[in-house]
Amino acid sequence: MAANVSSDLIWQLTRTQNAFLVKRNSGGGSQFSRDPLNLENQHSFKYAGYANTKAVGVQPTENGGVVVITKKSSNPQQPAKNVVSVTYGPNASTRKIYKGVADKTAKNGYRADIRESAVARVSAIRRSQKPAKETPPQKLRGAQAKKAAGKSE
Amino acid sequence: MASRPTVTIAGADGKPTGATYPLPAVFASPIRLDVVQQVHTGMAKNKRQPYAVSEKAGEQTSAESWGTGRAVARIPRVSGGGTHRAGQAAFGNQCRSGRMFAPTKVWRKWHQKVNVGQRRFATASALAASSVPALLFARGHRVANVPEVPLVVDSKTFENAALTKTKAAVALLQAVGAGSDLVKVQKSKKMRAGKGKLRNRRFRQRRGPLVVYNPEVDGKELVRAFRNIPGVETSPVFSLNLLQLAPGGHIGRFIVWTSSAFQALDQVYGTTTSPSALKKDFLLPSNVVANADLARLINSSEIQSVLRAPKGEARTKRVNVQKKNPLRNKQVMLRLNPYAAAFSKEKLGQKAEESAKPERASAAFLNTLYEA
Repeated sequence: MAANVSSDLIWQLTRTQNAFLVKRNSGGGSQFSRDPLNLENQHSFKYAGYANTKAVGVQPTENGGVVVITKKSSNPQQPAKNVVSVTYGPNASTRKIYKGVADKTAKNGYRADIRESAVARVSAIRRSQKPAKETPPQKLRGAQAKKAAGKSE
Repeated sequence: MASRPTVTIAGADGKPTGATYPLPAVFASPIRLDVVQQVHTGMAKNKRQPYAVSEKAGEQTSAESWGTGRAVARIPRVSGGGTHRAGQAAFGNQCRSGRMFAPTKVWRKWHQKVNVGQRRFATASALAASSVPALLFARGHRVANVPEVPLVVDSKTFENAALTKTKAAVALLQAVGAGSDLVKVQKSKKMRAGKGKLRNRRFRQRRGPLVVYNPEVDGKELVRAFRNIPGVETSPVFSLNLLQLAPGGHIGRFIVWTSSAFQALDQVYGTTTSPSALKKDFLLPSNVVANADLARLINSSEIQSVLRAPKGEARTKRVNVQKKNPLRNKQVMLRLNPYAAAFSKEKLGQKAEESAKPERASAAFLNTLYEA
């Protein structure tokens, strides 16, 4: 990064207005972010993937897996070479994904401060990928139950 | 600046040609969003067309006030009879078919002068912002597949009217990784809300890449090749416009440079010490701080060595911890009650009450008590 720019400056320039920011009156005026490198979808410097030189993103893949994206801090001027993505298939064990994500986030002085949210996001994505349980049929009560019991006899 | 960073020049196929060029000094100018926004608001006003209501609107009747005594308001009323209009109030801004309040005039101050120094500062700022990928992403450009920012394409692609067809221009943009930005523009085309639809502003769409060329080397044929691609704009490097560099006052426009235009930048803007060759009395603005990295500044030994040590204890106060019941939790009890250890060691809690009845006071004692 050139001497006249830094992560702090980028955040100050884009804090009030940027393409990822979601501002609605509903929800008590909380501000969200659509940045794919934002682990909490929360509009804050800590989680702003585009502003930080090191950032982690976790996204679901179409086939039911998880893809983990990290930014390289070495070549910020080359967007095409700037991200590393690791894909975990739908059959990968969730615990192994946790381990992989936690290591990638917190080891080698990367971003230990966001390890917890990275793992939490993997967990949330995995849970969302489970097939939805069908609601069991409602048990009959009262007069309807008596009627049904009478019929079966 | 230890070493001047270089930029690789891409060929027509998007692959690096191997040639590099040092980054022009204009990209190191301070990024001042406040200056850009202020200059943008001023400059955006300079393309306005005057409009006004008719001079006569609401004044085309010979109404006179009826004065007092007729139990009606003293507003001018339309004279005569034989029509419903007679006797109705006229002229006032509160009246039906009256004149508007403060009728708009064509001689309103439509244009705004912006000082040339400020305009040049804002342009330099916007150019510097266009070389920061993070700001391009924050502006909404899809530049994830772009090999390098700033993106420079070899001028051989354009020289001698080599690029005249839109098809070839689109192929070039796709080759250099700008294809997804073009798709974004095409998908963004929406019908405008409101009356603007009737005023030749029917659709709204996002802005795509800006192609900056050097008309002396690249020629002007490429303008025709690019002009029908939605969202793509072209501009000669000698007349860059802030309205294109920071549309809406939002910095970080995605710019595709031709190599000759990129090389002309040092001539157009000069550096912070050598004046520009083309702009009279212009030096590039300098940064107030040499290093904008706040975290690095704070953690530097120069700053840390002059700071006083933090006051207070080294431990932090624990908040939001669960309250423990000292009667059940022995460790908490020991912390609160120093006697508790001895109490339990002696098993005082388990000891039976000593004797059932208190001893009767002696007769001598009672005598002394009641003597008085």
